[in-house]
Amino acid sequence: MSRGILPLLVGIALGLAGGLTYAWVIDPVQFTSTSPAALRADFQADYLTLIASAYASTRDLDRARARLALFSDPNPAETLGALAQARLASGGPMAEAQALALLAGDLGVRPSPLPTSGTPSPGSRPSGSPTVARSPTVRPSPTVTRTPGAPFRVDSRELVCDIDQQIPRLRVRVFDSAGQGVPGVEVLVVWEDGQDHFFTGLKPELGSGFGDFTMTEGVTYTVRLAESDALATGLVAETCTEDGETFPGSWELVFVQPEES
Amino acid sequence: MSLRSPRLWLGLALGIAAGLLYGWVLQPVELYDTAPSSLREDYRTDYVLMVAEAYGVEADRTQAVVRLAALGPQPPIEFVESAIAYATANGFAAQDIERLSRLARGLGTAPPAAGIQPP
Repeated sequence: MSRGILPLLVGIALGLAGGLTYAWVIDPVQFTSTSPAALRADFQADYLTLIASAYASTRDLDRARARLALFSDPNPAETLGALAQARLASGGPMAEAQALALLAGDLGVRPSPLPTSGTPSPGSRPSGSPTVARSPTVRPSPTVTRTPGAPFRVDSRELVCDIDQQIPRLRVRVFDSAGQGVPGVEVLVVWEDGQDHFFTGLKPELGSGFGDFTMTEGVTYTVRLAESDALATGLVAETCTEDGETFPGSWELVFVQPEES
Repeated sequence: MSLRSPRLWLGLALGIAAGLLYGWVLQPVELYDTAPSSLREDYRTDYVLMVAEAYGVEADRTQAVVRLAALGPQPPIEFVESAIAYATANGFAAQDIERLSRLARGLGTAPPAAGIQPP
């Protein structure tokens, strides 16, 4: 190697070493002036929850949208719904899960179009289940318990037989008097030796007022909204038959808020 | 090799330049996995404002303190005071400043002792 190039190489090595020593040891990078999008995942979840809690207080949707836009999430409603479920599953405060569900629903997610019905008119309340891929066999049941004066009432209960949906579920939809889905409503499910609850709006892709619960075959359930006395009783995963195959059906329950007179 | 060698100094300059080119252009620092304590001042102010908005309805002092604690080890009231100063200097809506002030008042008030109802 030529002696002429040696000083150059030594200089480069010293320069690099000096630069890295300064950058990594003497004056390492201190992160300041970061944006919420750079937060660690758990901090992001807390931040999103705080956005929802603030929204639950102010109902300022534009402000909530602006805050959510910082995260560049193409579908914040789904993210918020999933986060609400995660918070519930981890035993987090119900108020936070409800706030997340409320914001997810208010971001404008509406139920998917139904495969068996025409396009609903604006403001009309959808019926049936958007998750049914094939034409379901619906058997209306006359046994609905209504409680006069309740904030919500049972509007319908239908056994949905869909061979593609063989896990029986209690599928609850809650609508306000304007026909809009209501997220964040606590739904109580009671059976002979136990009870559980869930909230609407945690699956915003299925509608802001939607919530569901997996049934166990042979168990009889009663469903009630926490803020209403209206009951749907005697819900059992009844046997359906389609194409010669038998499978348990799901129940579709619709609760509505009566129009103010 | 002498320290007076111009090639040495040229190499040194090239090395530093290469380091800066690599660090600033080719592979710049990408921030991720940061903590709320590193948020820029405007974001931090909005964070405190969100806490204040939620506090306005929840009236849960403990919850507000927990949320503010994510911003750093300083006393929570300091974050609120900084947020009020920033909001005032940057023309925030009076309603927002009032929310922040209400939170500051809430944090400045010691929680009532058990069994004693505030007037």
